[in-house]
Amino acid sequence: MSGPLNALFPWAFLVPLAPTLSFVVIGLFGRRMQRLEWGGWVAAGGAFVAMVLGVLIAVGEMLSPGTYTDRSFQWFTLAGNGTGTFPNGFSLVMGTLVDPLSAVMLIVVTVVGFLVMLFSIGYMHRDSGLPRYYAQLSLFLASMLGLVLADNLLQFFLFWELVGVCSYFLIGFYYQRPAAASAAKEAFLVTRIGDVLFLAGVFIYFQQFATAGPGLGWAAAGFPFVDHGAPFLALIHASNPTLFTIAGLLVLGGAAGKSAQFPLDVWLPDAMEGPTTVSALIHAATMVAAGVYLLAVTSVFIGFSATDQLAIVAIGGFTTFWAASMAMVNRDIKRVIAYSTVSQLGYMVLAVGAGFTMVGLYHLFTHAFFKALLFLAAGAVIHVVETQDLFKMGGLRKTMRITSIGFLIGGLSLAGIPPLAGFFSKDDVLGSVYAAAQTHPLYWPFFLLALLTVFMTAYYIFRVWFLTFSGDRPRDPALPAAHEAPWTMTVPVTVLSALAIVAGALVFVPQFGGLFTAGVGFPATPGVPPAYTTTDLLLSAGSVGLGLAGILTAYVLWGNGRVFSLSANSPAQPIRRLLLERYYVKAGVDWFGLRVVYTFSRFLDFVDEYIIDGTVHGFERLFSELSIRMRRLQSGVVLDYAAYVVVGLAIFLVFLYVIVPAIPALGGG
Amino acid sequence: MTDLPLAGFLALSAVLLGIGIFGILTRRNFILLLIAIEVAINSAILNFVVFGAYWGGVPGYGLEGPSVAVVLIGLAATEVAVGLAIVLALNRLRGSINVAEATVLKL
Repeated sequence: MSGPLNALFPWAFLVPLAPTLSFVVIGLFGRRMQRLEWGGWVAAGGAFVAMVLGVLIAVGEMLSPGTYTDRSFQWFTLAGNGTGTFPNGFSLVMGTLVDPLSAVMLIVVTVVGFLVMLFSIGYMHRDSGLPRYYAQLSLFLASMLGLVLADNLLQFFLFWELVGVCSYFLIGFYYQRPAAASAAKEAFLVTRIGDVLFLAGVFIYFQQFATAGPGLGWAAAGFPFVDHGAPFLALIHASNPTLFTIAGLLVLGGAAGKSAQFPLDVWLPDAMEGPTTVSALIHAATMVAAGVYLLAVTSVFIGFSATDQLAIVAIGGFTTFWAASMAMVNRDIKRVIAYSTVSQLGYMVLAVGAGFTMVGLYHLFTHAFFKALLFLAAGAVIHVVETQDLFKMGGLRKTMRITSIGFLIGGLSLAGIPPLAGFFSKDDVLGSVYAAAQTHPLYWPFFLLALLTVFMTAYYIFRVWFLTFSGDRPRDPALPAAHEAPWTMTVPVTVLSALAIVAGALVFVPQFGGLFTAGVGFPATPGVPPAYTTTDLLLSAGSVGLGLAGILTAYVLWGNGRVFSLSANSPAQPIRRLLLERYYVKAGVDWFGLRVVYTFSRFLDFVDEYIIDGTVHGFERLFSELSIRMRRLQSGVVLDYAAYVVVGLAIFLVFLYVIVPAIPALGGG
Repeated sequence: MTDLPLAGFLALSAVLLGIGIFGILTRRNFILLLIAIEVAINSAILNFVVFGAYWGGVPGYGLEGPSVAVVLIGLAATEVAVGLAIVLALNRLRGSINVAEATVLKL
């Protein structure tokens, strides 16, 4: 099947090119035109072009389900000589791949990207350094689009790194603030740990495929949804299963770094130091989605290793609970949402790990909209009241009606209340893990953690909503008078509200749903079960009930301006403290760094200073002292020199005629 | 000449060398120093002459010993000429020919 829109597929490279052009234009000319603030419009324009193209391509993919359009060119080829690591040689390609998976991601990234750009124009207009901001934001978007469309893992990795460096720039946008500069560094370094693992995994895949399959080439190796048929499967079966498991774990490490999964999750809440728009983009469309997307594109390999699958399920399931628990007590509006992202990413990872790649991607899709909505609404609030402290806000629903309704929709969606978007995808995630747990009993604890998290999610997000919007007036009277945000901010909020309502139900449109069903089920792949289609009603009712219970709890504790506080001697205090201190992970890392690493460094410093330098300086002193003493011999008196000559001659003669003949080793004896 | 023992000449040469070295080490007067050097050199010249005479009748040996002795006499004379020039210069420069005071070699 092919529709007229399929003609667009080979031109998919134009999608990342549009924001790249805005990046170049703003980067080159932005400073000169700073006062006009047109950089924002250029960036939004680039993103708009990308959105139109991206959505058209995605629609084309929907109309011709299950097609894979790979347009690539040979980057370079190395002929093999029959020996060594690559006896058949290998070739590297660059190209774009349009498939159901990238079509879904194209919609998410371009739509959220464009709305965030539009929102930025209102949100950022008081800031300085705007050309930098818009240029980097455009590059961020372009890198993510390049990643989404990449047709091989190496190209994927290049864009992956670009995404990483852009996030570093943007988190550190307010680089004058030490917290922002350090958060940027933290984000970069923590994700870097994952990147190194990922690269190692890429090497293993590369080696496995390049050695085994000269006919298939490397491009074929990277992506699961291109049906390479029997030879490809034979190739996988022929490769070393241990190496494959290891590569899967390494890739999981990369994904955990990028998607802020335990234990590499510390950077994401700290990344809130960047502008709220950047947070929205990172959390919804770019950065963190890349990790889940990576797991999705490599799921066909991962499906061959039960160990890998269990590791992914464990990390995802544990992270959902871990992050949600910390979100329950935080008093910073953005950080709560950040923890929520970590937790929701855990759901996606969980689903992918359980073998339901497209379910994970489905949750990514809906999550992108309601999370961007939550962030942009939070951004509008912060923009107006100029604080992020929940306990200073209150009563804002009266003055910021659109924002409060938007946040409410986002919250309901996040809490998984039907018929909002979050309900469908979260239900699918739970259902698929439930289904997988039937055959893999080890998944049960993680399923239960995920189920428990439904309650926690609803609680923490409604705690935020009640604290921010309900009540009569702000708790801190010093807050600036609230008003509704300008149209560039309310329009994206409104659009995202609409999407957060309908995005989940979109799968019932056959064409759109086809993206998710066509993508799943690599032929005859063990461990990758078909799409989760039946919905267990009891499970759905249970999760909705848990969500409602969470909302109710939040209402009882925080509704109508109430502020719930634990009594000082409550047995829950230590738990609250533990959560506020982020399970002492940061403190532990600091302790480790200060005590262990620093002590070791001090030891090394000691070795350097006293043993290595000491030896060098010791020799220096030895010779300097010696020469000071030897200098006395240089009296300048001829007679003394004559005496030295005589003494030297005498010593030489004694040596030659007395000592040498006495020692057998020297030829005497 | 052959009736005199070789060892006697060598002993004389050794004594001359000892006197020369003793003089070199103990004299502070530059001229006496030069004389001591001459004595030491002459002990070496004597050795050449003695060995030259000793091997003189043996087939295969020529006049190497006396020839080198002649060269060495020339060398000694040259050395004295240079030495005396230094004495004059030193005397003009410092008004003394005491070598122990002439420490200008030292930086």
